[in-house]
Amino acid sequence: MSAVAESLPFPVPRSRRRWIPYGRIGVALACFALWQFGSYWMGKEWLPGPVATFARIWDLALSAQLFRDSLVTFSEAAAGMILGGVGGAALPFLLRLSPRLLKASEPFLSAAFGVPKLALAPLFILWLGIGIMTKIVFVASIVFFLMFYNGMAGILSVDPRLVAMARVAGASQWQVTRHIVWNTTVPFLFAGLKIALPRAISGAVVGEFIAADSGLGWYINNSRSLNDTVGVLAGVIVVTILVIVVNAVLQRSQARSLAWRPVSRDMVV
Amino acid sequence: MSSPAAALEVRRLSKRFPPRPGQSESPWVLSDLSFCVGDSEFLTIVGPSGSGKTTLLNILSQVDGASGGEMLFRGESINLASAALNPGLNCHIGYVTQDDNLLPWQTLIDNVTFPLKLQGRLNQESMARMQGLLKAVNLIGFDHYYPHELSGGMRKRASLIRTLAYDPPIILMDEPFGAVDAQTRTQLQQDLLRLWNLGRKTIVFVTHDIGEAIALGDRVLVLSRSPARVIYEHHVAIPRPRDLSNFYKLEGFGDMYETVRKELL
Ligand SMILES: Nc1ncnc2c1ncn2[C@@H]1O[C@H](COP(=O)(O)OP(=O)(O)O)[C@@H](O)[C@H]1O
Ligand SMILES: [Mg+2]
Repeated sequence: MSAVAESLPFPVPRSRRRWIPYGRIGVALACFALWQFGSYWMGKEWLPGPVATFARIWDLALSAQLFRDSLVTFSEAAAGMILGGVGGAALPFLLRLSPRLLKASEPFLSAAFGVPKLALAPLFILWLGIGIMTKIVFVASIVFFLMFYNGMAGILSVDPRLVAMARVAGASQWQVTRHIVWNTTVPFLFAGLKIALPRAISGAVVGEFIAADSGLGWYINNSRSLNDTVGVLAGVIVVTILVIVVNAVLQRSQARSLAWRPVSRDMVV
Repeated sequence: MSSPAAALEVRRLSKRFPPRPGQSESPWVLSDLSFCVGDSEFLTIVGPSGSGKTTLLNILSQVDGASGGEMLFRGESINLASAALNPGLNCHIGYVTQDDNLLPWQTLIDNVTFPLKLQGRLNQESMARMQGLLKAVNLIGFDHYYPHELSGGMRKRASLIRTLAYDPPIILMDEPFGAVDAQTRTQLQQDLLRLWNLGRKTIVFVTHDIGEAIALGDRVLVLSRSPARVIYEHHVAIPRPRDLSNFYKLEGFGDMYETVRKELL
């Protein structure tokens, strides 16, 4: 119960928190009911119901195909995330050391941010083929800027008084970065991850729509070409579950590393 | 005024900040400011708020550059140009700032040992010394509290012992007791005098409180309104140890207080 309450961005009185899990179950049931109703309304060949969809997911799970395709998509997203995310998060730390370089690179970075990455996908295919590398670079190109701009916001919010205090106390440039700049920036990087991780997964899926021979995006697209709406929907659900799981893991590590922050008071909303 | 034994000396210091956008020139904050501090002297500087006390200490600690003038540390000239700053002068000059500047993501104990950690001097001996300091300022038992879980006075005390713990020979203090209540303040002043008496460091203590300046200092400098200069100097003859719980009754305090009050008008 407390885990539920802690994950909320605003304080809720203890007496009302008790109802949150029941409320959530209620909303979930209502969604399934609506889904089932929509399926009757539109016809199940257009919108398969939840039962048919989850039955398919079960079959896929038994045949190990679900595992294989999820792993492919997850690996692409993860590798792209590491490639683009680490680069995007590290760049602000380097730019901080040289205000001149920061000023000089600013227009180029915003121009590069403005390029629609989806439009670059054909180019990536030409360069890298339809293998896993194309999706990794595609994901990296999306994630890089999200992490870069959040990291930059963190760098800009570093308190110069804390830096001065540390310098007077004998901190080297590296120690200032490690102790003051890094700790100030961590919450901003988490905010970046919160947006970037789902984008990384959907980036990998979209990449697989365009060119792939495995992965959840490939499965969805392949089902579509066979007019298999159950397959399409099952694929979408699995992608959603993947995103939810990744988010939950992120939430946990965020809570642990930001434990120092003032907790929300028990005030009445 | 200057002597070869001076721990720190400034000559004709001046400072103006860069002009604001749309403004051609900004006013001088410090102009022609000169003084020196002897070894193990407790120097207090009193000036009205906004007179440039913080600006002065920022320059002495080399957090900020000067526009003109020079500084000598043990007779050696220090470059005060903005590009050549060496904050804290290799840990020779400690600075207890007006804000406590504790790191919000670190617990009390990590905050007060932060300079020792940076300097690679965190060991059993320095840790034992730290325990003594924590005890002296009544912070025992709060080791694992984060700054936001401490009161303003506790944070102030933490920032004070953070600097005392690494033992710089010169310590600059910017109204360190400005934000605490009267009783705590007297206690802290008494603690400071006791700690100073043990180690006999050189202290430059800045305040807008005339009583505090006289009660603590060996010598009091009076600053003019902006642009700040030293306009008066007083040697405080009150013998030590001083009992600060009723320093208004100390011999000679009243007269000096009246004099300084008039000088500041
Ligand atoms: N960073 C700054 N930029 C411009 N003006 C400043 C800056 N810091 C202080 N000043 C100005 O310098 C004067 C003295 O400020 P300060 O040194 O903080 O005074 P005090 O500490 O004696 O109260 C004030 O008029 C203030 O506006
Ligand atoms: Mg001030």
